[in-house]
Amino acid sequence: MWAAAVFSDIMDEQGTKHRILMVSDFFFPNFGGVESHIYYLSQCLLKLGHKVVVMTHAYGNRSGVRYVTNGLKVYYVPWRPFLMQNTLPTLFLTFPIVRTIIVREKIYVVHGHQAFSTLCHEALMHARTMGYKVVFTDHSLYGFADAGSIHMNKVLQFTLADIDQAICVSHTSKENTVLRSGISPEKVFMVPNAVDTAMFTPSPKRLSCDEIVIVVISRLVYRKGADLLVEVIPEVCRLFPKVRFIVGGDGPKRVRLEEMREKFSLQDRVEMLGAVPHAQVRSVLISGHIFLNSSLTEAFCIAILEAASCGLLTVSTRVGGVPEVLPDDMIVLAEPAPGDMVRAAKKAIDMLPGIDPQIMHLRISYLRILGSKTVLPSYDHQLPTMAPFRIHTAFVLIHIQGIPQHFLWKLPVSEL
Amino acid sequence: MGSYMGQQEHGISDGLYTYKHHREGGADIHVIFVKKSKFRVLLSYMGTMFLLATVCCALLSKDSLCLGSLWSISFASIIAKCLRCDPVKKESLVIMPTFGVQLEQHFWSGRVHRKFVPIGKILKPVLNEHVTPVSCYCNLALLLREEYDLMLVFKNLNPPVKMLVPIWKALCAFVDSKTLSDSALPQST
Repeated sequence: MWAAAVFSDIMDEQGTKHRILMVSDFFFPNFGGVESHIYYLSQCLLKLGHKVVVMTHAYGNRSGVRYVTNGLKVYYVPWRPFLMQNTLPTLFLTFPIVRTIIVREKIYVVHGHQAFSTLCHEALMHARTMGYKVVFTDHSLYGFADAGSIHMNKVLQFTLADIDQAICVSHTSKENTVLRSGISPEKVFMVPNAVDTAMFTPSPKRLSCDEIVIVVISRLVYRKGADLLVEVIPEVCRLFPKVRFIVGGDGPKRVRLEEMREKFSLQDRVEMLGAVPHAQVRSVLISGHIFLNSSLTEAFCIAILEAASCGLLTVSTRVGGVPEVLPDDMIVLAEPAPGDMVRAAKKAIDMLPGIDPQIMHLRISYLRILGSKTVLPSYDHQLPTMAPFRIHTAFVLIHIQGIPQHFLWKLPVSEL
Repeated sequence: MGSYMGQQEHGISDGLYTYKHHREGGADIHVIFVKKSKFRVLLSYMGTMFLLATVCCALLSKDSLCLGSLWSISFASIIAKCLRCDPVKKESLVIMPTFGVQLEQHFWSGRVHRKFVPIGKILKPVLNEHVTPVSCYCNLALLLREEYDLMLVFKNLNPPVKMLVPIWKALCAFVDSKTLSDSALPQST
C-alpha cells in the first residue's frame, strides 16, 4: 500500500480536518509552476475534506476575497508588488492582516511557498510567533556566492529557524535548502511535483518521422539557458536537414534568438510562437517529437513531465534535480554546453523510432518508485498523477499531527 | 427585550455595538448604537487646544509673524482637523414596504444624515468581505441597478456579522417580496 493511502487511512481514523493557510506572492492570475502547485495542492486538500485558504497580494484590480473552484477562498491583500511580483518587505506591517486572516478563518497550519516570496517569509514568521504550525515548501535552487543569494539565504535561515517541517521537490533541492538555511535534514522532506496527465495527453495520431520537430517552451531568460539555445539550434539544423524547431515563450533573450534566425537564415526551420498560454501548451507539445530543455538551474522542471506526458522524448541539461524527474529511457541528459547538447539531440533523434507516445503517456500516469528516481506512485485511477500532492499533503498533515517518525520508516515510502 | 408601540424589540449587544430591531407604523427599523468613545473626544479636545496654543504662541511672541510661525499654525490646523471627530451615535436602516429603504446616520452633535433608496433601484443586498492592507471585516452593502459601486448600509460603523445577518435577511425578504409582486402582476399584451 502506498504511503498516501496509508496516511489517508490514518487521517480518516482520527477524523481530524485541518484548516490550512497557503501563503505566497505567486498565485493566479500570475501563471507558473509555484502557482499551479499551490492550486492543485489546495484542491487535493479540499477533496480530502480539509479547509484551505490562500493568501497572496493583489494583482491589478483583483483585490479582496475571491472564491475559486470547489470553494477555495483566496485573499488578494491590497499590497502592491514592488519587484518581480514580490510585496515590499516591511517585516511587521503585514502582521495585522496575517493575524486577522488566521484568526477569522481559524487556521491551524500555515504553509508558505517559495523562498523568493517576501510575503511567505513574513507570514511564516508571524504565524510561528503566534504559536501556529508552519510548513515551508521550497521550489527553486539558489546559489551561495552572489549578493542576492547571500541575502536570500540569510533571510531563509531566519525564517526557517523555528519551522515545523519543510518540503523540497527533489533530493538536490533538499540538499540545497538544508545547506542554505542550516535547518536539520530530519525536518526536510522530499515530495516531487506532479502533472495532471488528463490535461497533457499525446496526439491521437502519431506524427510522421519524415520531418523531426523539436519543441522548446520556456521563458527566454538567462537561467533557462536561452543563450545555449542560440548556440545549439544552428548546429542541429546544420547536422540534421530534416529537423525543425518550434520555440514558445518570451523574455529578454528572445531578441538573441531572432538575431540567430536571421544570421543563419533559419526562418523556415525555426518558428517563434511568442508567449504561449498554459491552456495551449499541450497543443504546441503534441506538434513535436522531442522536447528540448536547456535550463542552467532547475529544482525539478515540471515542463519535462508535461512533455513526457504528451509523449515527447526529452533532451535536457543535467542540472539540479532534472536527473531525478524521468527514467533513463525517457530522457537524454547532457552537460550545459553546446557540443554536448548537440550530441544529446543526435542520440534522441536516433532513439525516436523506438518511442511510442501513448506508452510513454501511460507510463507517466502510472510510474513507480525506483531507486533514486522520484517517479511517482499512483493508486487513484481518477487522479493518478495527483498522488504526489496527496503524499505532499500527507507529509504536511501527519507530521503536524506529531505521528512518531519511526512509524513512517516502516512504510515503502522510506525509499524516498 | 422591551416592547415599543406594541411591537417587540429584539437586541444583540457586544459591548461596543448594540443592535435593536423594532417595527413602527408598518416600517421595519434596524438600529445599531455605538458606545461613545471618550478617548476620541479627548483627542479632539487635545487637538483643538494644540491649535489654540500654537496660534497664541505665534501672536503673543515678541517676534513678528514669519514663515515659520505660519507653518506651525498650518501644521497645528491639520492636526486639529485630523483629531476632530463628530462621533456617530447610531445608524439605522428603515425598511418601508413597497417604497424602499432609508439609511440614517445620527451624530452625537444632533446632526442627522438620511438617504433614501427606492425599492426599484435595489438589485440585491450582500454581505461583503472587505479587505484592507491591515484588516478584513464584513459589511452590509446594496447592489444597485445601473450603478457600478456598492452602497454601504453602515458607512461609519463596523458591526460584527451576527448583527448584520438578521438585517441582511430582512433586506433579502424585502427585495424578494418586490420581485414576487412584480412577477405576479398581469403582463400587458
